[in-house]
Amino acid sequence: MDIIIYGTINSVALALYALGFALVYGISRLPNFAHGALYVLSGFVAWSALNILGINYLLSILLAIAVTAIVGSVIYQFFLIRIRGMEISEIIATYAIALAILEGLRWGGFKGMTYTLPPFIEGSAAIGGISVDYQRLLTVGVGAALVAFLWLFTHKTRIGLALRGMAQDERAALMLGIDSDVMAVVAMGLGSSLAALSAMLLLPLGNIVVESGYNVLILAIAVCIVGGLGSWAGAVLAAFIIGFAQILTAVYLGSHYQMVVALLAIILTLIFKPSGIFGQQKELEERV
Amino acid sequence: MLEATGLMVFYENMLALNNVSIRCGENQIVGVFGANSAGKSTLMYALSGIMLDIRKKEEMAGGERITLTGSIRYRDQEIMASKSSRRARLGIVLCPERRRIFKECSVLENLKIGGYLATAAQAQETLEYVFKVFPALTKLKSRLGGFLSGGEQQMLAIGRALMAQPKILLLDEPLLGLSPLMQAMLMHATREIRDERKISIIITEQYARPVIPIINYAFILENGSAVLEGTREELMNNPDVRSAYFGI
Repeated sequence: MDIIIYGTINSVALALYALGFALVYGISRLPNFAHGALYVLSGFVAWSALNILGINYLLSILLAIAVTAIVGSVIYQFFLIRIRGMEISEIIATYAIALAILEGLRWGGFKGMTYTLPPFIEGSAAIGGISVDYQRLLTVGVGAALVAFLWLFTHKTRIGLALRGMAQDERAALMLGIDSDVMAVVAMGLGSSLAALSAMLLLPLGNIVVESGYNVLILAIAVCIVGGLGSWAGAVLAAFIIGFAQILTAVYLGSHYQMVVALLAIILTLIFKPSGIFGQQKELEERV
Repeated sequence: MLEATGLMVFYENMLALNNVSIRCGENQIVGVFGANSAGKSTLMYALSGIMLDIRKKEEMAGGERITLTGSIRYRDQEIMASKSSRRARLGIVLCPERRRIFKECSVLENLKIGGYLATAAQAQETLEYVFKVFPALTKLKSRLGGFLSGGEQQMLAIGRALMAQPKILLLDEPLLGLSPLMQAMLMHATREIRDERKISIIITEQYARPVIPIINYAFILENGSAVLEGTREELMNNPDVRSAYFGI
């Protein structure tokens, strides 16, 4: 029972890490290696707003999400736009930006274990005899709501539909007057705000530490590779596979093997099915 | 309405378009005929601005060096340097070769993506019009684009381009690989679209026969040069053109 509950919670957390990365890659074919850094950045923005500026918690959260979205868009508009299409440069540049943000935060004094965000709601509920705190339950609820929201956004709104068109056939989208740079900025902003939102939900469960930026990035990449790069449905499914695998290893082997599971999943996927779970269509196209 | 003069396109040192000048008047259907690799698609990409994007991508990836010169005037406005999104906003919309349907979206979603530039009212009105011109699409609304037949995809591609509110529609080889019956239906619909929506149309094709009944004027491309032009009657009376492009 506890495996099911904690497996679900862990899976939702992984899905939250990965959705922003998958969104940006799916639309602009841009591997955003600064994803984890944006995650940590939003945590420290919220912490600073709460503790230094003394703003109300909800406003701090909204501020952190907005700031991160703007930082993400600015990164695209001023840095990445010059190197679009050069894949290796995109990876190097986004990773360099990640290092600059994370090590900049560390240099700015944000280190150690003292930075925490309070949970939204205290207390815990008992499900099937296992006590689960409300914050974790809220995470699962918001995670599910977010997937529903993203589905509605990409199927019903003008911008969302344009983003999907761009993701499937950039040139055809250009012919219809959809501007690829505008869409990439929107995607980066949206992906960054998803990173921030997941940070707001998950950081209250632990400390805000600079190192988690690297972990989040690795987990997000693992989930996206297993699910098929750029596929949102694949990312959610892969989050559940890796999430449960991690909890099972933690229970039967020891919790220090958790990170190995994610890395092993990347290696196994690349050996046996390089396009990931939901990559069949692309595979077919490549064969044709 | 649209006038291109002295268009030259080089891929590295290969000349793809050599000093091509074509024009299309208000409410006209203009044909551009030529064999494979005559430069038809290159011309369409140059007119719609997609060539600028291709050039940028090649430049970024360190691929082919593409050179583009000449002038394109649209309603007394020079648009040679405008991006494709700007040209689409002005009303120049390309319906590409091989249709390029969004395969993982339904027919209705494809049309809605096409309506990105339209206002909500325009999109609604055009949507109804598309289903009126192509009634076959009505039943397929929720089918995925990738599961349509070639003819259905072509109808969808034209409908999607119409959703972008074009003033001049560029149709690149719309009849490629379709049955004669479907070809005739599409050409009939094209003329109807011109008459009812007051849209000018430039249409390229390898084989001119199905297209010839609906055009006002035509150009013939050979090896990247516009070698001949004339009204429908003039071309019909030219024995070389008759044998090469009409098969009679």
